[in-house]
Amino acid sequence: MRLKPKIIWIDGVGCNGCSHSFFNYPEISSFFENFELLYHPLLDSDEFNVQNCDILIIEGALKSNFSRLGKDLNSLISELFLKAKKIIALGTCAVYGGIFGKGLVFDKNEKGKFYKCRDRVINIPGCPSHPEWIMYVLNMIKNDKKIALDEFNRPVEIFSYTSHMGCTRNEYFEWKIDAQDFGSKEGCLFYYQGCQGPFTHSSCNKILWNEVNSKPRAGTPCFGCTEVSFPKKDLFKTETFMGIPANIPLGVSKRAYLTISGIAKSLTNERLTKKLIECENEDKQKDN
Amino acid sequence: MKINKKIINKIEGEATLKIYEEKDIIDFVEIEFWQYRGIEKYLQNRHYMDALVINPRVCGICGHSHLLATAKAIENAFGAKITQKAKILREITTGLEIIQNHIKWFYITLFPTQIKDRSFTLKALRLSSFISKIIALISGQFPHNSYIIPGGVTCDLTNLEIFKLEDMLKMLMDEIQAVIDKDGNSRDLEKFFENLPKNIGKSLNRFLVLGDNLFFSKNGKTEKIKEEKTTSLYSNVLYEDKFYEVGPLARNINNSLVKKIYEKYEDSIYTRIFARLYEINLIIEYLLENIKNIDVCEPSYIKPVVNNASGISVIEAPRGSLIHKVEIKDEKIKSYEIIVPTQFNLSNGTKENPSAAQAALMSERKEYLDTIFKCFDICAVCVTH
Repeated sequence: MRLKPKIIWIDGVGCNGCSHSFFNYPEISSFFENFELLYHPLLDSDEFNVQNCDILIIEGALKSNFSRLGKDLNSLISELFLKAKKIIALGTCAVYGGIFGKGLVFDKNEKGKFYKCRDRVINIPGCPSHPEWIMYVLNMIKNDKKIALDEFNRPVEIFSYTSHMGCTRNEYFEWKIDAQDFGSKEGCLFYYQGCQGPFTHSSCNKILWNEVNSKPRAGTPCFGCTEVSFPKKDLFKTETFMGIPANIPLGVSKRAYLTISGIAKSLTNERLTKKLIECENEDKQKDN
Repeated sequence: MKINKKIINKIEGEATLKIYEEKDIIDFVEIEFWQYRGIEKYLQNRHYMDALVINPRVCGICGHSHLLATAKAIENAFGAKITQKAKILREITTGLEIIQNHIKWFYITLFPTQIKDRSFTLKALRLSSFISKIIALISGQFPHNSYIIPGGVTCDLTNLEIFKLEDMLKMLMDEIQAVIDKDGNSRDLEKFFENLPKNIGKSLNRFLVLGDNLFFSKNGKTEKIKEEKTTSLYSNVLYEDKFYEVGPLARNINNSLVKKIYEKYEDSIYTRIFARLYEINLIIEYLLENIKNIDVCEPSYIKPVVNNASGISVIEAPRGSLIHKVEIKDEKIKSYEIIVPTQFNLSNGTKENPSAAQAALMSERKEYLDTIFKCFDICAVCVTH
């Protein structure tokens, strides 16, 4: 692609969270050096014009009777689709519809308004999308590299991982030790607290958030925000079928999962049944 | 009299202004928001905990305040208690959200209305991504975490993280001195006003603070709030049937430095912008004092007793008082209501009875419209929840 690809960035129906997430990219100045931003919903740019661009980034969902930049949102996006070489559907709203409306290529599991144009679209889901995922896709486009995509048009280099990979609670998962409740370092959140890590395509525990953390590391379950089902109902509860998690880790048969779980559960790992750090009250320590 | 329609964007969305003007002097401005997203309806019949994931998505820049307001509304419904540790951690992350908001607002939203220079944008992004990192160390990520839950927080930090947090806050304090120092000196603020009068944009001179998180103190009662339909897709918010200004100027007006400037310039754009910037220093100082009181041995979470009840919460969010109301039955949300700060400041009143933003624009020159309007730090996505 050209030396400095031209980008138009449009906000559909959403919260601008993907823009704010992108703003956290630590080396953001390289974005401005390598790309020309013709329009952005938050950053200073020239007046908006429907014009040719190399990359059209759409953040937020489609919705009828929704006004944007003085036009109907859906027709504005259609006009811009004709003018763009590549399109990035940014965030779960633009990819599947999310909370607020319809996605570009997909409307939940159905074909979306722009399904026919899917060859030009790269989907980067996430609520929000991770800044490094966005920069990766932009750099691949700029360098004319082919981006391998999965069945949801998501880049394989990001979404072939599960958010479970790299989770600091993995040992508890191995030995089937659940978190007793919220607010503890110990235990896996997959059994009761609703964690969707083992079946969510995302690299949140490999490429950490804000370079330091992830939700499960901070004791919050993965809500599966990169998937079409986001946000499912009862997000803090694990859906079970006859006492067994209804959704099991990707790639394994239910029978195989039950067998290995049964064995792991029957063999106790003493170390992991205790608190990692016994916290003695400071006053008590003084008394002693 | 000429009437012009203008879409103002780059305010976390957009607003439509109907400007009544005579010889480039603004006579009156009507404010319209033509977007609606329906979050309150979306929450109905969902488990009350789901609101902790859905509500931060009201807004990409202040969603963490919506998370705190959600957890507190549910806690008030259940009569839940939290530990001092959980309270301090919540104050750190929501306080830092206010700071990242103010930095982005000043350099990214407001600055370009006077000075076009990308280096200020980069300065803001460098600072705000560092602030986000501090928040994420506690909460898992920023934006859009759900680590604040009814009864406490989900994280269970060790002293290692607490010391690191303190060091990061100190480093932030040092960096902020280059934006605005402890005595209120700011080179960038003076640069912004190089070709801009300081005494324009005077408004209602009526200030309202309904939340008491961080070091803020209330001056009113939430029961006296009333919502009223407008001709576009949002509601006006009145207090005792009058419009009020909410936000950093309202809640810091008794600070000696802010007061001194207020006495000189009244509630003009200069005072409003100064109060917002200076609040950054006050918040970091408060957080640095309080982080010392964290005892990692305290529980992070106390399981609340669930019952059928209604709860209301009010907090001071980046832009002012934020209200959440929830009604819970059989663990499900029966109804949910959100009132955001921008609704107070940007209500669509009449020429005789204007809202804070409308009053600030009246009788001012048209060339200052963008700056005066944006000095209220507008959040369109919040309004169109």
